[in-house]
Amino acid sequence: MSQFNFPFEEETKDLKDLRLKVRNFIKKTFKEDKITPSPDAWVFSTNPSFSKKLGDQGWLGMSFPKKYGGHQKSMLERYIVTEELLVSGAPVAAHWIADRQSGSQIIRYGTEDQKKNIIPKITSGECFFAIGMSEPDSGSDLASVKTFAKKTTNGWKLNGRKIWSTGAHLAHYMIVLARTTKQVDNNRHSGLSQFLVDLRLPGIEINGIEDMTGQKHFNETVFDDVVLDKDSLLGSEGKGWEQVVGELALERSGPERFLSHFVLLDNFLNEFKSKMSEFSTLSLGKIIAELQSLRIMSFSIASMIEKKHSPEIQAAFVKEAGNNFEKKLIEIIREMSNLIPIQTWSPSLKSLFEDATLKIPSNSLRGGTSEIMRGIIAKKLGLR
Amino acid sequence: MKEEIQFILDVSERIFAKNIDHKIRLDPEKNHDTLIKEIRESHLTKIAVKEKLGGAGMNLVDIIPLIKLSAFYGVPIPFVETIICNYFFSVFDTKPTDDFISICYEESGVIIKDNKVSGLLKSIPYLNFTNKVMAKVRYNDDDYLIFFENKNSYLKQIHNFLAEPRYDLEVKNENILFKEKFPKEINFLNILANLKSIQATGAMEKVLQLCIDYCSNRKQFGRALSKFQMIQNHISEISLEIAASGASISVLESSNNIETNRDENFSNDIKTAIAKIRTGMASGKVIALSHQVHGAMGFTKEYDLSYFTKNLNSWRNDFGTEIQWQNSLGNYFLKQNKNLWEFLNH
Repeated sequence: MSQFNFPFEEETKDLKDLRLKVRNFIKKTFKEDKITPSPDAWVFSTNPSFSKKLGDQGWLGMSFPKKYGGHQKSMLERYIVTEELLVSGAPVAAHWIADRQSGSQIIRYGTEDQKKNIIPKITSGECFFAIGMSEPDSGSDLASVKTFAKKTTNGWKLNGRKIWSTGAHLAHYMIVLARTTKQVDNNRHSGLSQFLVDLRLPGIEINGIEDMTGQKHFNETVFDDVVLDKDSLLGSEGKGWEQVVGELALERSGPERFLSHFVLLDNFLNEFKSKMSEFSTLSLGKIIAELQSLRIMSFSIASMIEKKHSPEIQAAFVKEAGNNFEKKLIEIIREMSNLIPIQTWSPSLKSLFEDATLKIPSNSLRGGTSEIMRGIIAKKLGLR
Repeated sequence: MKEEIQFILDVSERIFAKNIDHKIRLDPEKNHDTLIKEIRESHLTKIAVKEKLGGAGMNLVDIIPLIKLSAFYGVPIPFVETIICNYFFSVFDTKPTDDFISICYEESGVIIKDNKVSGLLKSIPYLNFTNKVMAKVRYNDDDYLIFFENKNSYLKQIHNFLAEPRYDLEVKNENILFKEKFPKEINFLNILANLKSIQATGAMEKVLQLCIDYCSNRKQFGRALSKFQMIQNHISEISLEIAASGASISVLESSNNIETNRDENFSNDIKTAIAKIRTGMASGKVIALSHQVHGAMGFTKEYDLSYFTKNLNSWRNDFGTEIQWQNSLGNYFLKQNKNLWEFLNH
């Protein structure tokens, strides 16, 4: 049963050195720029100047080809950098989507012009992307999208709405999944295409949606007769579904699915390690075992992607197991604090805890809900 | 080595598939003659024995897939135990036996005198099947590995708390056939705990297969159980637990060895703990969910599932429950002067 194989990837000395280099850079930059860590920072914490600094270090678009400004590093090196950024709660939301998935989609499916124009700006940390998949009437049922791109003499005319697009208000581009032919009943996945849409074009309106934490990180984007030139098509017309499935594997398998709240755990332990009761060692042992298993899975998937495999079910495993772990983590921290009342915590720890508790419900919704992940797994096991 | 182990896996799978069914699993004292004969003839139990002693010269890491496979097939005899005992014979350049052997880890009051052993050896599996025992015992402040044949000692059948047969042996002046000081660099507990974690992943994969087969064939309300979303959810969760367990085992598979004693970073102990905890946690969920999927049928003795879920329950309790290993792992972390991220990247 090969889908359960996650071949262990040893962290080489070079990777360990890279890890330390990134860690030291983060420490130094946090101090110089007075940055404070936050949970779920890859979604909520935006700092374009920090993104630019990462670009200067060569830590964005790491795996992209050199001729487009990339660094031709392995996915494993990229994995190490992303882990270090996540555990430090660094403000990486601005560039995260561009670096994680949009850039890779352009490298894989884009025209030469698209690659030359956009990839260098992604790698320098100056070009940000938003995801244009969900719609008001198409959440988990992605194939039912209604946003339509009609072919014109010079290109396309785009009409429709996209929703829940994190960071669209700051992004330069959105990769939009749209219908290019009407949906046919017997093949819902046909007739979809991806478009590379410059969000500054006329006819685009981006409206922030306040989430339950009071922040406006996600948006509804309205496309009203938006004129797109021919080159806006990303990849092949009608192949949008196949393309989007590959993009989702990148989106779902990374360490942000289980390290988004590590900063809370780390701060909690730094403050109270000496006060851990015997009861807490049980929780700590469980956390360590679960977390290390997830890291092995995710690191192994990075290696599969590097080898051009398509780890769809494995990505679903990481996303679902990772989200479950993070939800449990908040509860375990509550348990471990049985002898350390929250009133005695430092204000910064208290704030991290409150922030994480508020944000946690979103982790099993974004990037595909738990129900969708389980559906993918069931399908791959032949149950559907 | 990869090609060799693949060949051995193919041979083993043929033997297991041909000779093991649920009837044999339920009554291992009967009906297993061909299984034993074919395992003996193929020398599978000498796989981790040096070539000069008649073995295949593999190490304990190489044979992890075979251990997993034997659990997947529910091999009802001390197959894995014998492999480990023969490995120990080989460590001391001693020729292994052709017999099946059981292993003992718990003992009290052992006395070794004039090459004879007496004392209480506890909770040994498979003594209904073999009278050969290898045990790690402590005597006069030294640890010994001994091997003997039970001829006159009082054998008391007990059960582990899951009603699985185990035996206490009141050993009385049995002749020691092999005795060596236990090597300080080898960690007996870790080897045995690792075996159980590896076996658990094999058994869980079998349980998943049983679930998929059962719910694809069984119809209720006019459609296969596999078409019900709730059932799909249960099975997805089972497979997710297996995936995570497999990841915890992959660390062992990539190690140089799974037997050496602790180094300064406790790195082998940590690997063992992580695998035992993760597979133990997974076993609990897989047992509950797989029985839920199977309904009353899974609760019968006659149907395969219970054999594997009982194994899983026993194994998660053998050589330290996941709870005990959680405690050890938590303490390793607390005792080191490192923050959690440094500890995780030691």
